[in-house]
Amino acid sequence: MKIWDDSTAMETPAAYWGYQAFYWGIFTAIGLAINLANGGNALNLVISHILFFFYSIGLTHVFRGQILRWRSHHPSVIRMRFRLFLGILIIGFIQTALIISIDIALNGTRLQDWPRAAVAGLAWGMYIGTLVWTIVYVRITERRAQEQREAKMQLALREAELRALEAQINPHFLFNCLNSIRGLVVEDPPKAQDMITRFATLLRYNLNHDSRHTVPLSAEAEVVADYLALEKVRFEDRLRLQVAIDPAAASLQVPPMILQSLVENALKHGIGRLPQGGEIQIRAAARNGSLVLEVENTGELTDSLPGDTQVGLNNIRERLRILYGDRASLALRSSGDGKVVATVQIPKDS
Amino acid sequence: MKAVIIDDERLARAELRRLLAAHPEIEIAGEACNGDEALALIAQTSPDLVLLDVQMPGMTGFDVLERLEDVPQVIFTTAYDAYAIKAFEVNALDYLMKPIPAARLAAALAKVRPRSGPARLERVFVRDGDRCWIVALPDIFLLESEGNYTRVHFSGQRPLIRRSLNALEAQLDPAVFFRANRQEILNLKWIDKVDLGIAGGLSVTLRGGRAVEMSRRQSGRLREILSL
Repeated sequence: MKIWDDSTAMETPAAYWGYQAFYWGIFTAIGLAINLANGGNALNLVISHILFFFYSIGLTHVFRGQILRWRSHHPSVIRMRFRLFLGILIIGFIQTALIISIDIALNGTRLQDWPRAAVAGLAWGMYIGTLVWTIVYVRITERRAQEQREAKMQLALREAELRALEAQINPHFLFNCLNSIRGLVVEDPPKAQDMITRFATLLRYNLNHDSRHTVPLSAEAEVVADYLALEKVRFEDRLRLQVAIDPAAASLQVPPMILQSLVENALKHGIGRLPQGGEIQIRAAARNGSLVLEVENTGELTDSLPGDTQVGLNNIRERLRILYGDRASLALRSSGDGKVVATVQIPKDS
Repeated sequence: MKAVIIDDERLARAELRRLLAAHPEIEIAGEACNGDEALALIAQTSPDLVLLDVQMPGMTGFDVLERLEDVPQVIFTTAYDAYAIKAFEVNALDYLMKPIPAARLAAALAKVRPRSGPARLERVFVRDGDRCWIVALPDIFLLESEGNYTRVHFSGQRPLIRRSLNALEAQLDPAVFFRANRQEILNLKWIDKVDLGIAGGLSVTLRGGRAVEMSRRQSGRLREILSL
């Protein structure tokens, strides 16, 4: 699913052309009324204004094509504003030049007949006209894109929550967990109590999930800790853990369930397949303006990952793209010495 | 009766052991926590009953069964595994869902029978793609050689098993399974009728309609057995 690239979906053709006709229609009509009031050849004025109406639509239409192309590369806000400003200047200049040229052609005037102040006034008028056109266009389409992103984000998040729900509270996990806790009740009652509490916390997190798009990494890490504590009861010595979360990274925002999904993957496809078990290392650090999350597990990266791994990882990729465009990434690679590392990079500023 | 417990989780094995304590007729001959250990344990103790977890790392419960020549009675223990249970169409003794209720375990154990005799094949495990069966030998009406494999015919199914016909024959009860020719061994209890075939051999029709041509030499022996 492409989120950013279907920029044309930000508007319907009818709405777009309606806006073009309405905006430049009003603008041209006001200009025509003022010029007629000032006197001059009425027929020539009407002709030049009709021409103005059409080439203004043409120019802003080309400009809009360019805006969509720029958007598809997700430029930064400042860069986009700079480009828009430059585009407005160019269009204003062309409009001014065309108005003067057409006047010369229709009325036989000469360039010298245009006083500097009149040219400047005309140019200002054109700049402001195109500026307002652009602001309205960009605002409306951005809001629509934002709404669409929200909707898709909600959808992807719900899907991820559902999957996480299935993974943690997946019946297999649930019943194995209950069975282990039943065993603990005899062997180690205080630990059994602790596990029941963690189990409750995990259930609550999953049942009361809210629809926030991001949560502090520290909150996500707490849930992962509960989850891993429960898995540790089952796996015992076969699951070894190392968690290193940089204090500077703990307060940064991450999409909910992201660490959780990575850890589940590591357990399901790494440790869970090894009779001798293995180690999971969770690392989080702030680096060069990015938050880097790494989940490393003992295991092999098989060429043909089972479908559900791909689904899980694809869901993470999807949510990262919706939230951060091209500025976030997820990579899964084999680190050579029998370890698999999943790395997520998220821009810090968002 | 001897039982072994196979589960990758120590706590799950301990739980099962505690539950089995209420059944003095079951003697726990050992525990294994993965497939390799399970195979060694079963070979060493030849248990009457295996309590087998389906999902284990490395080798699943099914993989273990596939590597056993003679399959003991099996009770599966699983947390929740709809797929695995569905794959099993025929004849696992029972399935127990963890955590296991004591009454449910008692009901499953009531079905366990001691082994009839030593060194006699009682059931085989067959896997065909995604489907698996534990087949009791009386249900098999025909064994057909296909190179190093044997095609096992039973209740509408005819999957291949990874053992040669000759290797299987050595473990079969000769009073029940009879060599018809170089390719086939039939189950005498499934014979429906016997006709005189071409060239003096007998032609046997099994219940269900399958016809088996006997070799001349074996025709003579069959006449003796059936006192024709």
